[in-house]
Amino acid sequence: MKKIIALLLAVFMLMSMAACSSNTDPTETSGTSANTEATDAGTEATDAVEISGYTEAPYITELGIYGDVTDRLPVEEDIMVEDADYLEIGTYGGELKTSTSVSPWTTGKIIEEGLFRFTSEGIVEPNVAKGYDVNDDATVFTIYLREGMKWSDGVDFTAEDCVWFYNTILLNNVDTKGVRDCNTSSDGTYAVVEKVDDYTFTVTFSEPKYSFIEDLEVELKWYYAPKHIFEDYANYVIEYNNATDDTAKAEAESKALAEAEAICGVKFADVASSGKEMLYYFWNYSGIPTLNSYVLSTESGKNDVSGDYYEYVRNPYYWRVDAAGQQLPYIDKIVYTTIQNTDQSLLLLLDGTVDYQIVSMDAIATIRTEANVDINIYEWSGSSWGDVGTQIMWNLSIADEHLNALFNNSAFRQAMSICVNREEFASIYSEGWLSGGQATPSEGMLGYSEEWATKWTEYDPDYAKELLESCGLVMGSDGYYDFEDGTDFVLNIVSVADSGAADTYGILKPYYDAVGIKTTFRDYDRSNIDNMMLANEIECTLYPVTGIGDVSVILKPNSVVPGTATNVVWYGNLTADTATGDLLELINLKAQLDVTSDTDERTEIALKMLALHEENMWVISYVEASPTYFAVNARIHNFPEEGVFSDIYRDTGLAHCWCWYIEE
Amino acid sequence: MSKDFLPALFAESDFGKGAKRQMKKYIGKRLLLFIPTILIISFVIFFIIQLPPGDYVTSYVAARIAEGETFTEADIAYLRQSFGLDDPWYVQYFNWMKDIITEGDFGYSFEYGRDVWDVIMDRLWLTLAVSFTIFVFQYGVSLPIGIYCANHQYSAGDYIWSFIGFLGTATPNFLLAILVMYWVYSATGSMYLGLFSTEMMQNGMRWEYVPEFLGRCLIPLFVIGTSGTCGIIRTVRAQMLDEQTQQYTLTARAKGCSEKTITYKYCLRSALNPVVSGMAHSLSSIFSGSTVSAIVMNLQIQGPVLLAALKSQDMYLAGTIVMVQAVLVVIGTLLSDIALAWLDPRIRFSERG
Repeated sequence: MKKIIALLLAVFMLMSMAACSSNTDPTETSGTSANTEATDAGTEATDAVEISGYTEAPYITELGIYGDVTDRLPVEEDIMVEDADYLEIGTYGGELKTSTSVSPWTTGKIIEEGLFRFTSEGIVEPNVAKGYDVNDDATVFTIYLREGMKWSDGVDFTAEDCVWFYNTILLNNVDTKGVRDCNTSSDGTYAVVEKVDDYTFTVTFSEPKYSFIEDLEVELKWYYAPKHIFEDYANYVIEYNNATDDTAKAEAESKALAEAEAICGVKFADVASSGKEMLYYFWNYSGIPTLNSYVLSTESGKNDVSGDYYEYVRNPYYWRVDAAGQQLPYIDKIVYTTIQNTDQSLLLLLDGTVDYQIVSMDAIATIRTEANVDINIYEWSGSSWGDVGTQIMWNLSIADEHLNALFNNSAFRQAMSICVNREEFASIYSEGWLSGGQATPSEGMLGYSEEWATKWTEYDPDYAKELLESCGLVMGSDGYYDFEDGTDFVLNIVSVADSGAADTYGILKPYYDAVGIKTTFRDYDRSNIDNMMLANEIECTLYPVTGIGDVSVILKPNSVVPGTATNVVWYGNLTADTATGDLLELINLKAQLDVTSDTDERTEIALKMLALHEENMWVISYVEASPTYFAVNARIHNFPEEGVFSDIYRDTGLAHCWCWYIEE
Repeated sequence: MSKDFLPALFAESDFGKGAKRQMKKYIGKRLLLFIPTILIISFVIFFIIQLPPGDYVTSYVAARIAEGETFTEADIAYLRQSFGLDDPWYVQYFNWMKDIITEGDFGYSFEYGRDVWDVIMDRLWLTLAVSFTIFVFQYGVSLPIGIYCANHQYSAGDYIWSFIGFLGTATPNFLLAILVMYWVYSATGSMYLGLFSTEMMQNGMRWEYVPEFLGRCLIPLFVIGTSGTCGIIRTVRAQMLDEQTQQYTLTARAKGCSEKTITYKYCLRSALNPVVSGMAHSLSSIFSGSTVSAIVMNLQIQGPVLLAALKSQDMYLAGTIVMVQAVLVVIGTLLSDIALAWLDPRIRFSERG
């Protein structure tokens, strides 16, 4: 599998770069020929599939209120065909049973439809949009939509829905998230979005924006909202935001809230939350049409996502079909039951009450021996650098001078890395599932090298002591190192409660003690950790809140480049103004990456960034990256055997649940 | 002593009037004390809830970041402002109290995005049903057993029940829940997690689901019911034994009263005294008790909502639930005092002074 990933990622690097600048790329449509060529996702494959007619689910036919299926699908050449190699032609019907604790994203990511989407190789491919063109200097992007595509309430989905979304919702911050970075030129000005015709619109930047399409999919994903539903509401909100006197404000507020209630039946307490909930977490509100495969039920008792039971029902206007012309999705409903504790979903999986669940590796043995139903385990690659649970991050921006000097000294980091017997540790830590490793990209990912993957992994406690002494630490009478001035050196490690870090620390501590590093450990509730991070109080974390690494340093550099996020421990509050040396160099390279269009150059810069990490090893890990395991009831078919579990790819969303079908 | 002396002393009308007046005054006084008590409690509750560092926004943002959402500093400040969390806590408390008193508005649950009362009402009926059933179960089972054990002290039956009683008291509920769930799963192949199956929630309650529903009720009933039951058995047994050696019991027995009369009419009434005092707290636990067991068994009742609200610092929801609990404790204490006065003539006499 690693080889395949290696190959695919190599392809991804080339493709995603090419997509930025070329308008002859085979995955895109080019301007004038957009309506005459077959223009679907994975265009080549679409050409190969001969579909003679379209059929619908018996569930829809039995309802008897929707007309002919061909009238509900986009025009024939714009229908999206799901025909990946691993897919079998499925049969309609059944319910996908799952469980959740309250969270807006659990229900969202799995059915989310971006304007474009990523493949598991990181390639951007058409999705809601059937393609795009870009001019030579990457300032004007022309995006083509699917003709005849409809919202889940049957109203036409057109360029107006996208243009209006940007100009009214985003520019006026109606969804409270406002214009994201992907819509901002490097000079800080916002993009201009204009409608060309019903199925075409343009996004224009004042400066080149090579990474627009990727950034759009990483940051924003969707780029549309049903104007026919929200037009009045948005006007009231804008009226509210612009109102200067209290009476006008109160009046606009009550109008906006009344309209919100009319739309989705929920009484919101204030305008801001109504905007965010209905336009940002829109899939969680009954009565808001979407383009997703499943929409929240409108039946009372089944339509409240904070309730104990709710269901998402198939969208009769969904715009994808399988290779045989059957309108997707196959499964009629996704039903959710609320659980109080995530461990319970494992129990529910065992007795067949729940159909799929992400499980930890130690649960797999339980599933194999205890389950009363057949359960398949699928292993997807993770995207972190080494196992997140064993990543050690030192806060390089810590205020304490002693610690700051020590953490910024690579000899200290090396000592901490080699003082642990990795194989012994890994076998205890993972009950034999994983081997020792280091915080580096996994094999197949950009920047991987064997030297890096094995750097500082050789167990050598004596050399570790030498290194510690070279950092100016002096062995004290208690058997632990002190600073030169005689003060105790204690490494205070913190982590998130319930992350399992307390157990991990228990295994690590004897190694640290053996070389004379005195450590303490304490875990905190996540929100406390977050506050401590903002206050720059954290010295060192095991199992960091935000682990280092993601599928690509180009697509998402947050955990790798200082100053790009506020919740990464290792670089703390370092920015371009405060960083020095290689850290500053890293920040500068990122800035350079943002203004570089050439594919090879971008890759080269990315590699330079990763080389700095290899050189400095700012973060270490003791165990190789662990995969993500899906436990899926064997009655569910078409679950992809391989994939990459990453937020960028929308986690389980990459499994394309609309292609799953049930066969007992 | 003439025969009409007793009626004169216990003149029904006289005693009744005096007692009623006394009771009214007593209850009135207690009710007045309510107000400052509740105010002080609410203040303490609010203070404690906001004590941990951070607020709802930090826990909300942390949870969303974990799921991949991104927030800027401005986003966070905006959230805090829109939730009214940028005021100092005593200002928040004052505003909250003001809305409760003037408008009966208990505020807004951040987590659920709805009125606090809506969230509470959602689960109220089920909570009451579950807790009340358990309440009845506890007393219905433990009183007869306690009496039996006292009347058959040191018999085999007494030992068996005492053993079970100690075991029940010593085993934490959640552990018992896990064990029972494991046994049920091994025996039936189904986990029976929660009171309702997916089908019940999907189609609403129908007659054909009633047997399964009752089956699902058995586990929580058994698990949550036992520990309380065991405690009551021990209390009743000890009290009954105590009463059985009292002079009045001997006198009654000497006068030829039947054992049944002695047990139920005399001893039991006295023995119930501490049991009834104990009921004071039952009222509040009916509203939101058994949190840990409810989480383990995935019961859709109030307790887990409170725990989640406290964890995420959803302060108005947590505050309201805890305050309702406090009010119920106060009411429960009052009710149990009244019940005691009714049950135990000695208290009536001392009230009368």
